[in-house]
Amino acid sequence: MAISQEFAPPFKLIAPFFILGGLFYLVASFFVFGFSLEDISHFSPKTIAFVHLFLLGFVMMTIFGAMAQLVPVVLEVGHFGVELFYAIWPLLLIGTLLMVFGFLYSPALLPYGGVVVLIAMMIFVMEIFMTISKVEKLTLVMSSVLIANIFLFFGIIVGLLMALSYAGTLSLDIPSLLKSHIYLVIGGYINVTIMGLSIVLVPMFTLSHSFSLKPLSIAIYMMSIGVVSVVLSTLFHSDILANIGYFLALVSQFSYIYIIYIIYKTRPRKDNDVYAISLMFAFFSLIMALVSGVAYFAFQNEALLLVALWLLFFGFFGFMITGHIYKIIPFLVWFERFSPLVGKQKVPMLVDMVPYRSSQAQLIFSAVGVLLVAFALLFGVESLLGAGASFLVVGAFAFFRSMLYMINFK
Amino acid sequence: MAMYTKEEIFLAISTVIDPEVGFNLVEMGLIYDASSDDAGNVKVTMTLSTRACPLHQMIIQWVKEAVEKLPDAKEVDIEVVWEPVWNITMADDNVKKALGA
Repeated sequence: MAISQEFAPPFKLIAPFFILGGLFYLVASFFVFGFSLEDISHFSPKTIAFVHLFLLGFVMMTIFGAMAQLVPVVLEVGHFGVELFYAIWPLLLIGTLLMVFGFLYSPALLPYGGVVVLIAMMIFVMEIFMTISKVEKLTLVMSSVLIANIFLFFGIIVGLLMALSYAGTLSLDIPSLLKSHIYLVIGGYINVTIMGLSIVLVPMFTLSHSFSLKPLSIAIYMMSIGVVSVVLSTLFHSDILANIGYFLALVSQFSYIYIIYIIYKTRPRKDNDVYAISLMFAFFSLIMALVSGVAYFAFQNEALLLVALWLLFFGFFGFMITGHIYKIIPFLVWFERFSPLVGKQKVPMLVDMVPYRSSQAQLIFSAVGVLLVAFALLFGVESLLGAGASFLVVGAFAFFRSMLYMINFK
Repeated sequence: MAMYTKEEIFLAISTVIDPEVGFNLVEMGLIYDASSDDAGNVKVTMTLSTRACPLHQMIIQWVKEAVEKLPDAKEVDIEVVWEPVWNITMADDNVKKALGA
């Protein structure tokens, strides 16, 4: 049977991204134990190390692996050079470790880590750009992939400049660069990528149809203009531009939440499996993060900013990713292991490949952990932080166990 | 005279199951039409639940193989169309009920 591999790269190429991503999720959960409320500040080296461990090691690693499979699905063309992904994960792994150790113990490591991460991401971005160049007519979702990767390109350059400044090689205004770096990578890349991909994936899994893409269009363009506005505000030291950027990012997020709500309300597939509940928690976290973020601007209390960032990272990004892993890994394993047997013998359904107990355990323990840490940050209760970390670690172990079960399903 | 009726071809295709939802393609309403000529050449017109279906090529292959199992089937031509766009109202009642639609 001549089946093209264009739309489903070999699992051995993608598996390292997911396994390493799962390990980083586990390590990041353990890392929470190392914090005390006194030393949490969004500028402290320990916090920055934790953020890079989570965002580079878990979020980016998993997104890059997922993109190896999803880009051809979304763009409807084969990869320019899917083999390049074999080089991306080792580089991203080494770069992430160097950066995390650099922030924690030795800033001199940061330029090296930054350069290695830069190389990994440049390979990724160039591969995506070359793949997009094969597309004849860009749809909104395809445009979102392009826009996101342009932001990533600039985001990592700013990141490298910061790493050089942090190590003392260059003397630049780190707080200004930090704001640009955060908005370019988190707002421009991660958020726009999640928006674009989820509008393909969520309706696919819920069988939703006939909804307008207008809110998505508003969400992507508002976020894009917002990110550019914030970056320009750092260059021209303009509070007006910065405030416009924050406001547009907020409008973008609510427009995105609105379209997801429409898809949810009109979905024909009503079963609340681990995927559906993960996404519900993810969007609950996103809404709470936005509320907390707005409250921060109103009251200028750093705890509110930390809660917003925590809920955005571990709540929204974390559950969006773990939820989709329960769909993506079974598909890839099924495609490789069972699809050749279709018509010849009984094959499992994808739902059979998801371990019920450990996936449910992950859902509950991780969700409780996220909420406990958020309360700890908000009310300044040290014991809640430790309790939250304990739940997060159990949840992360259950997630890793679920992942191994799905990968080894026979 | 046609060698196979539409119903016979649909019955052959009903062995193909979507691994994500667990229903066969016919009861999902994804097979729009099927016909054959007197020589046994079969044409199937179908759609998929989403344009971005990662199993696109594979599902077409499975439909082709399922039809080829008809004893006197010769050439099998599968045409994938996107109009009308599939929606859940095209599925059988048992599918809608099971999904909670």
